[in-house]
Amino acid sequence: MSYRLDRKLAGRGTGESQFRAELRAVACDGERQWYLAGDQELEVLTSDGRLVNRWATGRPGWSVAIDERQRIWVGEPGQIEIFSAQGQLEDTWRSTELFRLVTALAVTPEEVFVADAGSRWIHRFDSDRRLLNHIGDKHRKGGFHIPSGVLDFALDRDATLVVANPGMHRVERYDPDGTSRGHFGRFGQQDPAAFPGCCNPTNLALGPEGEIVVTEKAGPRLKIYDRDGVLSEVVADSATFDVACKNMDLAVDRDGSIGVIDTIALDLAVFEPKMKPGAISAEGVAP
Amino acid sequence: MSDRYTRRDVLEISARGVALVGLGGLGSLLAVKAHGDDAWWIDPGKCVNSRLGALGVEACQSCATECVLPLSAVRAVNDFASCGRCYICPAYFDIHSAVGPDGLPSKTLCPRDAIKREPIGWIDPDDPANNYYEYTIDESLCNGCGLCVMGCKEPAGLGSIKLEVRHDVCLACNRCSISTACPEDAYERLPTT
Amino acid sequence: MRARRMAVTTVIALVLASIPLATSAVHALPTASPAAADPAPASQVPYTRPVDMAPDEEAIGEGYVTPEVQRPLPRSVWWQIFDLALLAAALGGAAWIVLSRRSRAAALALTVGCLAYFGFFREGCVCPIGSIQNVTTAIVDPNYAVPVYVIATFILPLAAALLFGRVFCSGVCALGAIQELVLLKPIEVPRRLDRFLASFRWIYLAVAIGFVILPAASRDFVICRFDPFVGFFRFTGTFHMLFLGGAFLVLGIFVGRPYCRYLCPYGALLSAFSRYAWKSVSITPDRELDCGLCSKACPYGAIEEMRAVRTSCLSCARCYGSCPVHRPAEPAGAQPRGSAAA
Repeated sequence: MSYRLDRKLAGRGTGESQFRAELRAVACDGERQWYLAGDQELEVLTSDGRLVNRWATGRPGWSVAIDERQRIWVGEPGQIEIFSAQGQLEDTWRSTELFRLVTALAVTPEEVFVADAGSRWIHRFDSDRRLLNHIGDKHRKGGFHIPSGVLDFALDRDATLVVANPGMHRVERYDPDGTSRGHFGRFGQQDPAAFPGCCNPTNLALGPEGEIVVTEKAGPRLKIYDRDGVLSEVVADSATFDVACKNMDLAVDRDGSIGVIDTIALDLAVFEPKMKPGAISAEGVAP
Repeated sequence: MSDRYTRRDVLEISARGVALVGLGGLGSLLAVKAHGDDAWWIDPGKCVNSRLGALGVEACQSCATECVLPLSAVRAVNDFASCGRCYICPAYFDIHSAVGPDGLPSKTLCPRDAIKREPIGWIDPDDPANNYYEYTIDESLCNGCGLCVMGCKEPAGLGSIKLEVRHDVCLACNRCSISTACPEDAYERLPTT
Repeated sequence: MRARRMAVTTVIALVLASIPLATSAVHALPTASPAAADPAPASQVPYTRPVDMAPDEEAIGEGYVTPEVQRPLPRSVWWQIFDLALLAAALGGAAWIVLSRRSRAAALALTVGCLAYFGFFREGCVCPIGSIQNVTTAIVDPNYAVPVYVIATFILPLAAALLFGRVFCSGVCALGAIQELVLLKPIEVPRRLDRFLASFRWIYLAVAIGFVILPAASRDFVICRFDPFVGFFRFTGTFHMLFLGGAFLVLGIFVGRPYCRYLCPYGALLSAFSRYAWKSVSITPDRELDCGLCSKACPYGAIEEMRAVRTSCLSCARCYGSCPVHRPAEPAGAQPRGSAAA
């Protein structure tokens, strides 16, 4: 399917849905609401940008995820905070070793996956918060190569982790126990299907049909690949995003709308498919 | 005549005294806020090659061309602690050149080949892309042109390479000709002590 | 009548002088290219980056240690103390040689020594002539703090001038020293022309100060920029500096020390200070013969009516040797106060 830029939500400023200095992470829930983490706060916006709720987080939020009980998990430096759907802080999960900088989260009823940019691994916990294994340590010493500073991944419907490995210019797949399931992607500056620059793709999300949506920096782009790693579309480039953007988090809602953060303009660019999809599955939503 | 002080002598002596006191006064006035020595310093927040936000512009090469020395006293310096050690470094490689069969860009960026690339740490025997690489700048070749600085700049790179004045080479000219030519006024005289 | 003629001459001199200075200064000023266009507003954004995300030594593995970045320090402060001590010693030595010992040979030796050290070894910066600009900057710009040794470099020769006349010019100044050594066939410059050209020193001083009191972005040290001889000291330089230097040296073969007498802004200050010198050059205090041999010997036109003119005498010690009744190495106490010299 083909996408077009539909609208931009939030923005830089002091308005009620706007951010002042930073905007780092976005997630989407089953009701197509957007959850934006920035300025040490979390905002909940409706699909067309109206502010529903807004509350402060303990530390600057670097990632957001919604679990099956509609709780909001916010990954921060050193901890993960879990809020109720109304914004009450329910729990704080601290770990200085494992949660140096939590840049991506995925929560299922049985497991929690935490991507830590500090140790450059993805940690897998069970529902009692016991560490089961790391992903990324079997095949490489020192974890994923993330010169860009964030480690991003998405959980596929069949419980495969799809991880962006920017330093090696590829997207990799892993089983939850850490076994590699292959990868696609290569370096290239001119070929639109290849990943340019020193470290791309920086962020990643999965579409409703399992397609892989990535954002890149330094020549910011939003691209969609199909399940086999073949480029299906370059949705947007530096005409839409600020040229200096880096680490643009994104989320896809159950109808296929893609929300991408512009880290300089502090807004959420929402891309709508020109035709609506049939299936449902999106980053952060429990199947 | 020789023993008496004429009026002219008195005027002369007092003028001399006033001048001496004036000199001493000026000296003390200035010495109050003085320091030991100063040296030229490039502000990375102003230099267009390293300043955030100045993107899509040509690298400014004034530091290489304006110094009075045959090989400029300015060098590109890689701050290793903040270098990403990337496999494909946008300061080492000319990333817009064609990709060779090994998956790397075919050309390097430095016109004088001053950057050296070495794999470091644990080396993966099968996949060279799985390694970290150290990029060292050979200061006997670098002339401070700043192409690598622009290549390393955020967001394309991590901004660990900056242009710096090498004080063991710099003549500390009272009028630094680079500082006069710098289009961003990035040069300052800062105290060294 | 005479005052009016002098005023008219001065005005014409100012106008004539300002044209070439201004045009060459403006012409050679670097035209600052417009600041690089910022296509992204990111320049106004305080950019945050996870600063410790560069791979650490543990991730790189195998005992890798992050290398230190070498940041060499500039020369140590002991060098400056040494330089100042040498400067003071050279000034004192020049005073002794010219006023007491009165030996041209010794003055020449001092000239060569100072040229070698302050010129070719220290490569000239910061010299007292240029220090005018630093001191002026320190006065007008609250953000600029001038190093102590630059203040001392500015003051020491002026203090020496108050005491002993222009002994700095004797041979301690490297720029003067190099011109002193090429003076082979001195011709006499007519007095009125000499005085007229000497007024250019004050104009240059005013121009230099003018360029310094500009705001910091447009401030330019023009004395350093048009320093004719520093290119030789460094063995490298722009074409205009080397050409200027060469031209001055060629001219200096015939006209005694043209830069010193007609352009040096510090020389303007020195001449003002040396007017009140405590001791100064006096050739034969009691026994002049009116023979005029000393004024013929002086290549700088600094002897009038058989007396050294304090403000223009460059303490080169040539005059003593030409005097038939001069007794070298007068005991120091035999000099009266230099009140006899104009």
